[in-house]
Amino acid sequence: MKFTFRVSPNYRQPLSTQWIMTELTLCIAVVLGYNVVYYYLNPNLGPEYAIHALSMIATSLVVAIGTEALWAKFYAKKPVLKYLTQSFPWVTALLFVGMMGVNKPLYVIIVGSLVSTLIGKLIFGGFGQNIFNPAGVGRAFSVLAFGGFIASQFPDVVTGATPNQVMESLGWVITKPEAVTAYLNQFNGLWGLFSGQYVGAIGETNTLLIMLVGLYLSVRKIIDWRVPVVFIASLFTFATIIMYFKGMGWWYPIFSISTGGAMFGAVFMLTDPVTSPTSIPGRIIFAIGVAFLATLIRVKGHLPEGVIRSILFMNMVTPLIDRGLDGWPLKAMKKYAFTIGTVFAVSLLTVSFTATTISYKEPYVPEDSIPNLGDPILFSTLPTAGNVNIVSTTVTGDITTFVIETKGHAYEAEWETDPKPNVIEVKINTVTKTIVSVTFVTYHDTASLQYATSHPVFLKQFDGLSIIVDNSVDVVIGATFTTDSVIRAVNAAIAAVLTPQ
Amino acid sequence: MPLWIGPMNAHLNGHKELTSHNEIVTVKPKGEVYIPLSNGNNAAVEVLVKEGDKVKVGTLLAKRSVPFVVPIYSSVSGTVGVVKSMMHAVMRPCDHLVIVSDGKFEKAQSFSPIDYTSATRDELVDFIMNSGLMGCGGAGFPTYIKYKNPVNIHTLIINAVECEPYITADYRTMKEFLDDLIYGTKALLKASTAKEAIIAIKKNKVEVCTKIQALLANEPQIKLFMTPDKYPMGWERTLVYEFTHKRYDKLPSEIGVIVNNATTAIALAQSLKYGSAIDEKIITFSGDGLKHPVNVKVPYGTTVKEIVEAIGGYSAEDVLVIAGGPMMGKTIPTDNFVITSYSNAITILKTTPQEAIPCMRCGRCNDTCPAGLLPVRINNAEAVADLDLIVKLAADQCIECGMCSYICPSRIDVTEGVRRAKRALMLRKK
Repeated sequence: MKFTFRVSPNYRQPLSTQWIMTELTLCIAVVLGYNVVYYYLNPNLGPEYAIHALSMIATSLVVAIGTEALWAKFYAKKPVLKYLTQSFPWVTALLFVGMMGVNKPLYVIIVGSLVSTLIGKLIFGGFGQNIFNPAGVGRAFSVLAFGGFIASQFPDVVTGATPNQVMESLGWVITKPEAVTAYLNQFNGLWGLFSGQYVGAIGETNTLLIMLVGLYLSVRKIIDWRVPVVFIASLFTFATIIMYFKGMGWWYPIFSISTGGAMFGAVFMLTDPVTSPTSIPGRIIFAIGVAFLATLIRVKGHLPEGVIRSILFMNMVTPLIDRGLDGWPLKAMKKYAFTIGTVFAVSLLTVSFTATTISYKEPYVPEDSIPNLGDPILFSTLPTAGNVNIVSTTVTGDITTFVIETKGHAYEAEWETDPKPNVIEVKINTVTKTIVSVTFVTYHDTASLQYATSHPVFLKQFDGLSIIVDNSVDVVIGATFTTDSVIRAVNAAIAAVLTPQ
Repeated sequence: MPLWIGPMNAHLNGHKELTSHNEIVTVKPKGEVYIPLSNGNNAAVEVLVKEGDKVKVGTLLAKRSVPFVVPIYSSVSGTVGVVKSMMHAVMRPCDHLVIVSDGKFEKAQSFSPIDYTSATRDELVDFIMNSGLMGCGGAGFPTYIKYKNPVNIHTLIINAVECEPYITADYRTMKEFLDDLIYGTKALLKASTAKEAIIAIKKNKVEVCTKIQALLANEPQIKLFMTPDKYPMGWERTLVYEFTHKRYDKLPSEIGVIVNNATTAIALAQSLKYGSAIDEKIITFSGDGLKHPVNVKVPYGTTVKEIVEAIGGYSAEDVLVIAGGPMMGKTIPTDNFVITSYSNAITILKTTPQEAIPCMRCGRCNDTCPAGLLPVRINNAEAVADLDLIVKLAADQCIECGMCSYICPSRIDVTEGVRRAKRALMLRKK
């Protein structure tokens, strides 16, 4: 007989950290899965997007798990499998990739995932020791390292601008009802925005789904319900203040909790136990702080995606919050109430003051920007027909010149009250079956986006391309959502050449 | 409860079904019993019998008078042996008086029974003192102390919550002696000077609740209070808060409440009626380390080893023997220790591998701490030996209920960290 000694208590609840992480992983997978399916079913996107999203997820997972495995073997010198099952690298990997737009090339994911795991987590001592949210670190690093290309998630032909990015360009204030409608229609309206009917980061778009997942996680006691509730309520309140001062409609606060990864941050990022305070009042202050900073960064900073930055900033003050609330909580209820109240009141006042300083601004047009050339994979499924009108066809020897009118972004977004089509000239060599040149005759889309589409670097890509490869143009995608008018024009010209007379 | 404090309790799987309905087994010691002479502390004790004396069940063997008066009575009849040091249920060796049982269990009257209705309050409190009654909730605090000078007491709470997992001893004792429960409650009510008594019991114990309710029909001063099935609902502070929604500083008497365990009330009733001290106890022997978990009725002083053998033995080669329930009970690295007059359970669990992983700072321990402390912060402060911070975090308020370790999903011994912090505080005070 052996009588083992162990310190009391000798009774443990069934829920283990390993199981918490497993359920959390499944929940993130559900959110990412929604978007993969959405891309697959969306006629404008199709399987290629879905496959690209999946390869992004796989890449992120492989890099994160691989990094930790190497770390375990060569640095920590511990059994690799055991280290991994107690360190949960896949959670970081999924959260990181969930914050990346679907148009990101894989090398960005590789670098970001590596930074998340290595710099965000391992060098601090691994799971439980890191100061900053590792996924947030990777995300912030990607923004800095890959510049506007990542930060603004600059749209490719199909995916369009992110909601916050457009808001950013407009100074976060839209008051004209028709402009509001036009703006929201880009994302299939407020409901579309809320339920993820648009393309953005591959985990962040479906606010409704993330909310339901958050509800599930709260009921299962995987996360503390107070954190997302306080955060979203604060964000909503601050947006309501701005709405009130600027005379905007109720769409604005709803918009503000539906975009920019607000709900994703609320459910998955703020609730990261490692980097948030350990006491309930601490977590409440943390959530209010993130909402406050995110609001300020959105309306006053020059960068979208304020939620991640705010989380990282609040991660930094987490030890301070913990230290400040040390004591005997049962005897400090009044102090806690006072502290929480003060933090909220100061935030509210600051937001109110800030609201008076912002106003609608004309979109910013850079002088000599060079469009970013993205990944060449996302292109050949574009619609070839519709909205095109061949105005004239001129044959000069081998060269046929088409002048084509096509409705550009102006028709979809309708910023201008009087939208006009873009007029594009496409020259095709009918003997060599190649494109000679593509040029704009007149440009009528949003001024801020003209530089990208009409820029020689973008248009030059078409020169010399064969038109008979698979009856569609396959080029490196350009950088703005207006480009689809160009593609459509080119495709129409090709169709005209190839169609037997 | 405000938004910024956690639930301060949790529902535990009690495993009570293992022992709540099967037959109570009577175990009589065959040879020696060992009567603990102290409570694990080294209080001075005056032994009143000599080696070779013949004693009966109920013979006064010894008396402690510092710091509290505690007479010690024999639980068997037989011959007095030597005083011997052995392991006690508090996990410290202490002196035990050996009695060699003659197997007859002849009874002697320890003191004269009294009628509490005609006795004065002072007589009643003296009676409780002389009966050697100690709170049967597990702490073994002499009962009479609470009733010495009651000031502005309005409520007596009879604690029948029994929130520790596995333990059903109180429940079974109550079911066995329902009339004594009411009788003892009325006696304590008189001693307490309170206007009303509350019998607090978990609401899922429907059967007993119904029976008590029926008995209370003609007892206007006693009410039944049904509590949620949460741990540690049976802790004085949690129970008093649940009932009064008030918190107190040190003792519940500050807010006019006295709390006593249900088995204590029953033991008092029996002492009053028969003039005998506690000699036998119903003890829960439960857990997956036993072949046949069961409640046993056994004279105190019997070793755990003897009882386990009598009820069918262990179910594994490697077990944890816990004096009490698995939450607050201490693991004793031997089964050669005895049941005390205030024991209520021995939990035997199979030793299963358990490995802690790094703390993820989830704060679940903070949210559920029944004392409203911040166990993870206390652990952190202890790790860097920051005594001032430990004081600030009120580590001395911890009662070691075990909730923080229980709730920790990373299987860290949080409670042990808080214990170390408390010890560090004690050392500094010295």
